[in-house]
Amino acid sequence: MDAEKNNVKGSQPGEGKAPQMEGPDLESVIERAQGHDAEALGEIYRLYVRRVFGLCRYMLDSRESAEDATSEVFLKLQRSIESYDGSIPFVRWLLRVTGNQCIDALRRRKRGRQVIVEVEEGGAVIEATSPEPSPLSAVLSEEERAQVRDAIARLPENYRVPLVLRYYGELSYDEIGQQLDLQRNYVAALIFRAKQELRRKLGHRSK
Amino acid sequence: MECYSEQILSIFVDGEAAVEEAQGLRDHLAMCRRCRQLLDALRAENRALSESLQELPEEAASPAGSSREPWSLGWGDVAVVAGVLALGSIVVPWIDELSIPEALQWLNPFSVSGRTNLLFNLSYYFAHGGTAMLSDYAAFVGKILLLLLFVGSALLLGRRRRLQQPGLRLLIVLLALSLPGFALERRHSEFVTVAANETVDDTLLAAGDIVRVEGVVNGDLLAFGGTVEVRGTVKGDLVSFAKRTVVSGTVEGNIFNFSNSLDLDGQLGHSLYGLLQSLRVNDRGRVGNGIVVAAGDVSLEGEVNRSVTIYAGNADVSGSIGRELTMTGDSLTLTNTARVGGGLSARVRELKKVHIADGATITGARDIQVRVRQSHFARPKFYFFQAVWLAAAMLVGWLGLVLFPGLFQGSTQAVGSSWRSLGLGFAVLAGVPVAMVVTAITLVGLPVSLMLLAMYLVAIYLAKLWVGAFLGQMLLKPTGATKSDWLLGLLVGLLILTIIGFIPYLGGLVRFGVVCLGLGAFAWQLYRVSRPAIATQGLLP
Repeated sequence: MDAEKNNVKGSQPGEGKAPQMEGPDLESVIERAQGHDAEALGEIYRLYVRRVFGLCRYMLDSRESAEDATSEVFLKLQRSIESYDGSIPFVRWLLRVTGNQCIDALRRRKRGRQVIVEVEEGGAVIEATSPEPSPLSAVLSEEERAQVRDAIARLPENYRVPLVLRYYGELSYDEIGQQLDLQRNYVAALIFRAKQELRRKLGHRSK
Repeated sequence: MECYSEQILSIFVDGEAAVEEAQGLRDHLAMCRRCRQLLDALRAENRALSESLQELPEEAASPAGSSREPWSLGWGDVAVVAGVLALGSIVVPWIDELSIPEALQWLNPFSVSGRTNLLFNLSYYFAHGGTAMLSDYAAFVGKILLLLLFVGSALLLGRRRRLQQPGLRLLIVLLALSLPGFALERRHSEFVTVAANETVDDTLLAAGDIVRVEGVVNGDLLAFGGTVEVRGTVKGDLVSFAKRTVVSGTVEGNIFNFSNSLDLDGQLGHSLYGLLQSLRVNDRGRVGNGIVVAAGDVSLEGEVNRSVTIYAGNADVSGSIGRELTMTGDSLTLTNTARVGGGLSARVRELKKVHIADGATITGARDIQVRVRQSHFARPKFYFFQAVWLAAAMLVGWLGLVLFPGLFQGSTQAVGSSWRSLGLGFAVLAGVPVAMVVTAITLVGLPVSLMLLAMYLVAIYLAKLWVGAFLGQMLLKPTGATKSDWLLGLLVGLLILTIIGFIPYLGGLVRFGVVCLGLGAFAWQLYRVSRPAIATQGLLP
């Protein structure tokens, strides 16, 4: 499953012209990078910069700070890649590191205050079942995808960050909770609320 | 059995439900059609989310895209540049052909003299310092910018996605701006002279302690020096930056003068525009058209065919003026020999400072007013122009955002680092004019300098937009950084800045601060645009 995920990412349109790299190749590149091989680090940069930048771009509110965070991630990679032990797919590990970097950036801006402050009361409270079909459920056209992206970008930070970490970074609730200093069920509630808010925004638009 | 909540189903779809809960849920799903449908919808929603997120928000191109090939031009881009150039070369002569009224000639941004006029006007407005004039000026720059943006946007409309690098677009705009290349001869030494038997066919750019023309210059003469003397003939315009300028020969075009003093003993074909300490048109001096001048002292002994407009400390008129004489300043004297073909209108602070000798002839009406500081807030026209100005600014903001989204939003963001922007902005504001003069004299020459000037003026105009947008965003705290948020912020910010700008004294200070902040942010953003390669460089030492 993990390996498959890796490949799926390698072939995403976001990766542009970067050649796909599969298991053994990638492993050797990572190994070389861990030995401070500049060329290997460059290769990793080339392969993943779009993906990393994308996460930063969705998490932070300006292109400028996203670029800064992206540079930071890859600059720190020279040292931090030594700690990668292969227990999870590399891309997931890299996105986790990126998520941390972005949350640091958000924190710095708020002078150390917790990023996600507004925790839903009764995060685990059972919601009434809504029988309405979701506005997101249909197969999306390019234009609709752009609308979704736009709506995501306009979500408040405490909805946007967990949502993006989950569906772009593909981190688990636990990983997101660790990064945001939140309990797991709060993360679940935030993601759920984020989706509801998104539906509301998109629903408004289509009316 | 009771159905599960949507939230729990959503957690289940995310693969995050606890083991026993997941089991219970599966059992329930087997029986409940409604929950199955909801589950499917939620799955589809997740897919749609991941799918949508695979691309970036519209304006954000990857930094890799720009760092990989920072300045490589695709054929398409070359074609666009060529298109702009071609269009420019069609439009330029056409604009030059148009007969623009003499007084409006300086508005023509495509003629060389139009641009030198621009330079002149800038100094002129700054020297006069009136805030109203500054906003007029801003509106003027806005118009030029608008024109450029319209042409640019028409060309780029279909190609927006491919032209990712804001730097490239900037280049295109600048190319369009610097279009008419012109022949130029340069001379640079302590003593530059065009001998009596010599003819220079091109425009002559001369810099030296003494610049003396005894022969003929067929083009324009652009002179920088301690003393500039024209004893021979300049068939084009004379643009002079000198301590002292003396024209005893003939200038067939216009004179644009930034000198300590200008003495006109000879013939001037068209008009004289100047910003100087003292202007003297001697009794042998003849001006074919009119004079518009800001000076400490003005003495008119010669003959001016058309109207004269003076902003001056003291003005003495003993010669003849074909049409109106308009004077704003401290004191005005018309001697017995003075003759004014049109009306006389003077705005002075005290009535007793106007002396009109009995022998002086004034054909038209005399309108002498003591200048009382009339509040412009009382005039409806004022509000109308403010509204127009605001609308123009919003339009420029919108077009800028569409064409250079990264640059505009980035610059807005960069305003936030206020001290850096303020310091950098002040340095740019003070440094660019120096760089411009140095470039004009020594380096690649005048076109580059003029390009720089245009960019400088545009940036000064845009500074307000960026600071306004930043201010508005700070106040409104929008949830995302979308275009409409940016524009709404801009509207609010500009309104606030405009209102603050009218507070006496403080307003001026605020305006200055705003220009510095915005310029600094812009400079920083330009620096950033050229920077994304750093990440790769760091990795590949």
